Amino acid sequence: MQRLLTFKHRSEEEEVKDAGLVIDYDEIARKGTMSKEEVSISKWFGIYSSRHPGSHMARVVIPGGQITSSQARLLARAAEQFAQGKLCVTTRQAIQLHWLKTPSLADLLRMIEEEGMSTFHGCGDVTRNVTACPLAETCRYRRLNVRPHAKEIAEYLTSCRDLDNLPRKFKITLSGCGAGCAQPFINCVGIVGVQRAKAGGGEESGFKVIIGGGMGWKAFVGQELFSFVPPEKIKYVCRAVGLLFRDHGDRYDRSKSRLKFVVHRLGIPACREIVLAFLKQEGHGIDDLESAPIAESGVAFPERPLTEEDPVGTDGRVTVRAIIPKGELDHHAMRRLAQLSEIYGDKRIYTTNRQNIELHGVLPAHVADAKAEIRKLGFGTDGNFGIRDIVPCVGTTYCPLAVSRTRDMYDLLMDVVRQPKYDAIAKKVLINITGCPNSCSPFRIADIGLRGMRIREELGSAEGYEIRIGGTHDAFGRKVGEFKKEDCPAVITKVLDTFMAIRQGEETLAECVRRTGFGL
Amino acid sequence: MSNPFAEAVSALKLNYRQAPNLGEFSVFSGVGDTVKDVQTLLKDIPCQAACPAKTNVPAYIEAIAQGDPDKAYRINQEDNVFPGALGRICTRPCETRCRHKWTNVQGPVHICHLKRSAADYKSKPPAPLPAWFEATGKRVAVIGGGPAGLTTARELRRYGHAVTVFEKEQYLGGMMMMGIPKFRLPREVVQAESAAIIASGVEVRYGQSVDAARMAALAAEFDAVVVAAGAVKPSDLKLPGMPEGAEVPGLEFMRRYNFGEVGEMHGQHVVIVGGGFTAVDCARACARAARRLVGAEGTVAIMYRRTEAQMSANLEELEAMREENIEVETLVSPVSATVEHGALKAIRFHRNMLGDAEHGHKPSITAIPDSEFERPCDLLIVAIGQVRTLDIMADGVRATDKHGTTHPKIFLAGDFHTGSLDVIHAVEDAKKAADRVDAFLMGAVRRKQHVAVEYLDTRGATGRVRDHDLQRPLPITVLPLAKRDGQAEVELGFDEKATGVNATRCYLCHYKFEIDQDKCIHCDWCIKVSPRNCIKRISRLFHDENGNVTGKVEATKAAEATFIWIDSDECIRCGKCLRICPTDAITMRKMSLQTTTIPAFDLQRKRNVVTRPA
Repeated sequence: MQRLLTFKHRSEEEEVKDAGLVIDYDEIARKGTMSKEEVSISKWFGIYSSRHPGSHMARVVIPGGQITSSQARLLARAAEQFAQGKLCVTTRQAIQLHWLKTPSLADLLRMIEEEGMSTFHGCGDVTRNVTACPLAETCRYRRLNVRPHAKEIAEYLTSCRDLDNLPRKFKITLSGCGAGCAQPFINCVGIVGVQRAKAGGGEESGFKVIIGGGMGWKAFVGQELFSFVPPEKIKYVCRAVGLLFRDHGDRYDRSKSRLKFVVHRLGIPACREIVLAFLKQEGHGIDDLESAPIAESGVAFPERPLTEEDPVGTDGRVTVRAIIPKGELDHHAMRRLAQLSEIYGDKRIYTTNRQNIELHGVLPAHVADAKAEIRKLGFGTDGNFGIRDIVPCVGTTYCPLAVSRTRDMYDLLMDVVRQPKYDAIAKKVLINITGCPNSCSPFRIADIGLRGMRIREELGSAEGYEIRIGGTHDAFGRKVGEFKKEDCPAVITKVLDTFMAIRQGEETLAECVRRTGFGL
Repeated sequence: MSNPFAEAVSALKLNYRQAPNLGEFSVFSGVGDTVKDVQTLLKDIPCQAACPAKTNVPAYIEAIAQGDPDKAYRINQEDNVFPGALGRICTRPCETRCRHKWTNVQGPVHICHLKRSAADYKSKPPAPLPAWFEATGKRVAVIGGGPAGLTTARELRRYGHAVTVFEKEQYLGGMMMMGIPKFRLPREVVQAESAAIIASGVEVRYGQSVDAARMAALAAEFDAVVVAAGAVKPSDLKLPGMPEGAEVPGLEFMRRYNFGEVGEMHGQHVVIVGGGFTAVDCARACARAARRLVGAEGTVAIMYRRTEAQMSANLEELEAMREENIEVETLVSPVSATVEHGALKAIRFHRNMLGDAEHGHKPSITAIPDSEFERPCDLLIVAIGQVRTLDIMADGVRATDKHGTTHPKIFLAGDFHTGSLDVIHAVEDAKKAADRVDAFLMGAVRRKQHVAVEYLDTRGATGRVRDHDLQRPLPITVLPLAKRDGQAEVELGFDEKATGVNATRCYLCHYKFEIDQDKCIHCDWCIKVSPRNCIKRISRLFHDENGNVTGKVEATKAAEATFIWIDSDECIRCGKCLRICPTDAITMRKMSLQTTTIPAFDLQRKRNVVTRPA
């Protein structure tokens, strides 16, 4: 029967969502294919289609970037059984399994549930994985431990059925201090730990809330919504921001749906009013939420805390890192890392937004052994957040949206940055490579960012990259130009050599770019 | 830029040679007055290109779909002068060119009847259109108050001239009043639309027959004379043996019918010779009135010398005629009349064979030997066309080119200029004649046509989705056969639901989605969301000397693709590509053919935006 159609202003995705977010993976396994609608709804269950027809990706949600060693073993087993043995750590601290065949999805999802993990809300128009700074518990600069809050927010928002159908994805991250290791300025909601002197004496910790940041095709730096929120209220504030997004996000133009556009459109004061109204409506007091600037009293933090090698925490224990090239490891390595965390660490595996894995709680005496074991797996242990810790997205290897082979570019650039002459600036430069404007590897906030594209030629087109330099966690890099893939190493070499020649003191590439006024 | 990083990188001298980034308009927004702009518009909007009056079809259908019939009516009124009338009786060259014809199986958009919907649902009667220029003090006589005469009068009035129409009859509308049966076109519709023209300040003198002498006098009295007297002199068959009065010209029969002068025809056998619109109208008038005029035992037959394919009537009409028990016999030509007791009894016909068609002509016919047969006939209606009554022209005045004559002050318009055609062609010709007359009176061309290109920052929000294209068009409501008394209108128009369905089917071809090749990064996301094969990877585009795309070579691999290119012939104007584009490379612009006064044209052109603002 033909429906009566009028000119409407609502996206087709909204119609699919309205039809219901339920899906039967066992039935899909039996028929072996997915309909267009099922592919769409699958995102809510953490399943994306891959570039290869019939293949899928499952994104396991890891709130706060922490899993137990037994969960890690389970993921290794799942990868071995269903995903050609490969696991990928993402820039939002989740773990992805690729190469999944349609009939195996149901079994995989059941298996993941065994250890209390889930892919639910891994993708789709919902609250995505809630991330946190990797050193949350023991960082010397932390204002408070954000990891429990990350898990609590994740659990709370995932259980809110009225936040299942947002206009688009909704990303929350928590940082323990203002250094921004968890990238609070490029998430929908960036939560930053703050500390101040209490009126009646003593210190109190709380959160600063930043909203409306985001990368993607149109990037925005987040803006401050509240300067101080008591820790126990933070999950309600997150929910209220989610409700603001739900009711005010664009449901016609999906590329303009994200919270960043809502904030850009309404402005922070209007957003604050709406959020406060929601809090009030749900019976939460709003008197202790502040928006006037506060005087921070916490310890001073360095520009890039994550560059410190084997950081010693406030508990005297050490964090040991495994620098995973391209973020991809096989199931043997995952099992071994789980084992190492049991031998040397706190029986937990920590994922980072540099697509690396960390072992926490290593006794100083065991550090050398633990690092030697990690190196045996083929992973580096030093240079985290440095020039040789390049983060590429998966690129055309798996992603149907990617334009370029970011992993080939990773290899090309590693040859450049491995040269010993760059040792001096090894902790001063960060490189991100992303295969398309979605910026899964956030290229705008790296000292050197590459974004894949194709460059039109006289006949045909060539793979290329837009290169930006000078980004930091709260400011975007400036465009140098668009270059063909084979020219990129030469361009990067020029940039690094220039930096070597003109850098002053301990400045980073971003600071140097800013000082020399490039692009202003 | 004296920055060490920028200098270091530019020292690499990485300059890539690229294929040119050619847009399909000469400007980003503003006045497009090159051949390229016009060709782009005519290629993209085939219905508008096909319309003799260049009606902005997508714009008015969009207005209807958005629930604004008044706006839709105004657009039509501006372009084709008689929307209500043409919405019923237009010959619809637009519909055969509609893009739905080649991209769908559901057939073209019902463009013509939607025009009528706009007229049916508009909230107020037609109003005069505003003048373009101040009064000039010039006086023009228009001979004939038919479609062409009224159009000329309206346009000249808008140019600021004083216009007097000389009409032979006591009513305006010409062919629309007498040549078309009122069950197809109610008189009130023509009267209302003529009244709007007269209300703009046109003087009408009724009952004014103009002959050669009178015309010479008018030419002396007025600054210019436009002859729009139509083609009303019937061609006749001159059949041997035909008694006086048994042969009636089709047009004359139609006139009598419309004014209630047809006498008793009960039980008669009527034969209509001809295959044009008049033949069909006469047949339907006899039959429709149907059985009232000829009775149950009477017959009505159209006898045409070629095949149905060459008849002006379309398939739909032929079908309707069969429904009304009208015989249609083809490949027959009349030979002679058989008379008994001084009265016509039968017509002898012979059968024809269809020969080859020379390019652009109808196929030739040859008589089949010994194929003669007789058909009973009491009344012969001959509807084989009309010719112009050239003897009304002043002595020695002959037509020259472009509406002009050998007399400097006498101009021709409509059927009188082109020979017998239809209303929409008459409107087109009359508009051109008015332009010509104004240029003669004022010594200069005062209005100019251009393609207005308008950038719309609305994120491609046309409101369309693919589902709109695939709707099955709803038919027009018609009067049941039993109620067709020959007076009441047979086609009752679209109801609101049908109007909605038929209007939302339109592709809205006046929107142009285009990719800025300098911004495109070949991510192909637009191709991924495209509702059908409308965005293509292209390795080569070929252009003509004006810069219009004439051909393309499609690429099969990303590396071969020089351009990602939107094929406007396939585009359904849903805007999905624009919304997904991560680099803002895709723009939506609206194009329309506009005629403005020269000062306004110059002013607008000064404001042109040549390239897209950053």
